[in-house]
Parts: sequence; C-alpha cells; structure tokens
Amino acid sequence: MIQYIEQIFRNLNGWGLPLIMLIIGIVEFAYGLYENHWTKNERILDIVCFIFPKIIVKPFIAYVSLLLLPRLLPDAKNIFSWVPFWWGFAIIAVADDLTQYWYHRLHHQLPWLWRFHRTHHSAPYMGMAMASRQNFIYTIFFSQIYLTTTLVYLGLGYPALFVTGVKALITTGAHSSIKWDKPFYTIKWLKPIGWVMERLISTPATHHAHHADTTDDGIGNYKGNFGNMFFLWDIIFKTGIITRQYPSGYGIKHYKQEEWYAQFLWPIFKSKKEGSELAADGPMVGDAVPEQQIILGEPAFQK
Amino acid sequence: MKTDKLTQQKIFRDVLISLLLYALPVILMLLSFKITGQRPWKNANNTIVNKNK
Repeated sequence: MIQYIEQIFRNLNGWGLPLIMLIIGIVEFAYGLYENHWTKNERILDIVCFIFPKIIVKPFIAYVSLLLLPRLLPDAKNIFSWVPFWWGFAIIAVADDLTQYWYHRLHHQLPWLWRFHRTHHSAPYMGMAMASRQNFIYTIFFSQIYLTTTLVYLGLGYPALFVTGVKALITTGAHSSIKWDKPFYTIKWLKPIGWVMERLISTPATHHAHHADTTDDGIGNYKGNFGNMFFLWDIIFKTGIITRQYPSGYGIKHYKQEEWYAQFLWPIFKSKKEGSELAADGPMVGDAVPEQQIILGEPAFQK
Repeated sequence: MKTDKLTQQKIFRDVLISLLLYALPVILMLLSFKITGQRPWKNANNTIVNKNK
C-alpha cells in the first residue's frame, strides 16, 4: 500500500501534475470558464510560462542538487536522513511553504519587486492556463525550491517527495476556475471541514480573492491572501480575508495587455505600451495614484 | 517609490515570528526525542558502520 502511494507521488512530481493541469485546463476551457479573455497574446504567454520551468528551471535545479551542493557541502549529504518521516514532513512543509509565503508577500509589499510578479496577476481570468504564468526572473529565483533542494540533499528527500506532491495539488486546486470548495460552504455536514480547510490551506475562494481586480466589493483582497499551500500563514500574520465568495473580476485594473515577451522577459524586453509598468519609462507601480495617497494618508501600492 | 513605514514594521515583526515558526518543527521533534528517549541518529550511524563492514 505504501509503495503504491509512493509511486503515485513519484509520478505526480514527474509527468503527473502537468497531465492533471492539462486535463483540468481542457475541462475549464470546455465549460467556457475563460470566457472571451484568452486572447492570442494571453495564450502565448500562458503556454510559454507553462513550458519554460520544465525545460529550463528543472535542469538548472538538477545541476544545483547534483553538482553544486556536493561541492559546497561535501560532507553533508544525507546527514539528516535519520529524521523520522513525519518530522521530516513537517520540517519541509514549513520551510518550503513559509519561504514561498515570504517570497510572494515581499513581491507585493516591496514596490521594486512588484514588476517581477505582475505577470501572474495580469491574467483577467483564473484557471490552469495562468497557474504557471510568471516573469522568468520570478520563476528562476523561486527561493523555496533551492531551500527544499538543499534539504533533500541533506537527507530529507523522501518526505519532500510527499510535501511537494501535496503542495502542487493544493496550489493547482486553488488556481482552478472550478470552484470545488463551494460544497464545503453550503452543505451542512461539510461545513465544519470547510471551516478548518479554509484556514489551513489555500482554496479557490481565498486565492481567487488574491487575484481580484478590486477590493471594493469586500471579497477581493489583492493586498493579502498570500498563502500558497498553507493559508495558515495569512491567519497568523493577519494578512488574510475569508469571505467564502468569489470575486466578479480578476487581473489588474491598469492592465494594458502588454506584449507576451515583455511580460515574460521584463526587464530584458520592455513593453511599447504607453504608461505601462513594463514600459521603459513606465511607473514602478501603475495604481499608485499620488492624489489618493494624500487623501487617504496611505499608500495605494500593495496590488 | 518606498514601502511605507507601517508595512516595514509589520514585515520586520512577522519575520521575527517566522524565525520561530521555522524552528518550531525542529524544536518539537527534539522535545519528542527527549520525552520518549528516542535517539534515531544513533541508529543511522550504526547502519552506516554496518554498511562499511
């Protein structure tokens, strides 16, 4: 039985997850969940971002784990392999996901980092198509990947196999335009499970709120809900909002449908769209309106 | 464009809390070893020695 579960997770971390994403993506597309937002420019960007990590980032991580770490830490290989499975699982889960929480949060709260993460938020829809959508620098410096790779080298590879598998399923599910969490808020006997679930892990309701194009409706919370696998970090740091509802619109209000190559490769390639955050002379943060700052006495940034 | 003072303070406070959160599973693990008397690293060393033999 354990070997069977182990095999599932090994496949999940290999070809399994991309296949699951493709199947869910086809279902989403068939049900028209992208409406008419998936234009040619968005399609190219989404597909390039889906493929890039698999052909560039994975080999680079393999290089780090197979060549660089043995040189940097020659005597440290498997020194923590004695750590019992469930403790290893907890250590990896916290180390990986809390690091990603910070990586993500800082890209929203430090204005100079925003443009590296903007590409993920510019999609005016949710779903498998945009789940991998990131600027290449954001993808390459995905900090928790290197931390987890190091922990694997130190001997926590077996628990990491399961953590990364569970995490991939949760984050993929949270980005899906299929609102699979809805029954947990409406069916009476599922509600207690839903209460725990929405505080523990990211769900479509809480993560869609993070991708909302406004906070005016009381549902959208692009200034928070940063959690990836665990929503618990948002609860602890008070950066989360739970409404059990879904925003009416996604993306960023000042989106100018910038060229796919500028979104993917900024700052190497700049956008030609006037006033764009990705243009050569564009603002660092497009919705930072000075007048509003003066009236409200608080910064407009944190998209 | 700068990050406002309040956000900076919150980031600093939350980073400190995070350090505790990172350490928490390791501390709890060591505590469990102390309570139960388990010494799994000793078994690991034995295994390696046996392998060398």
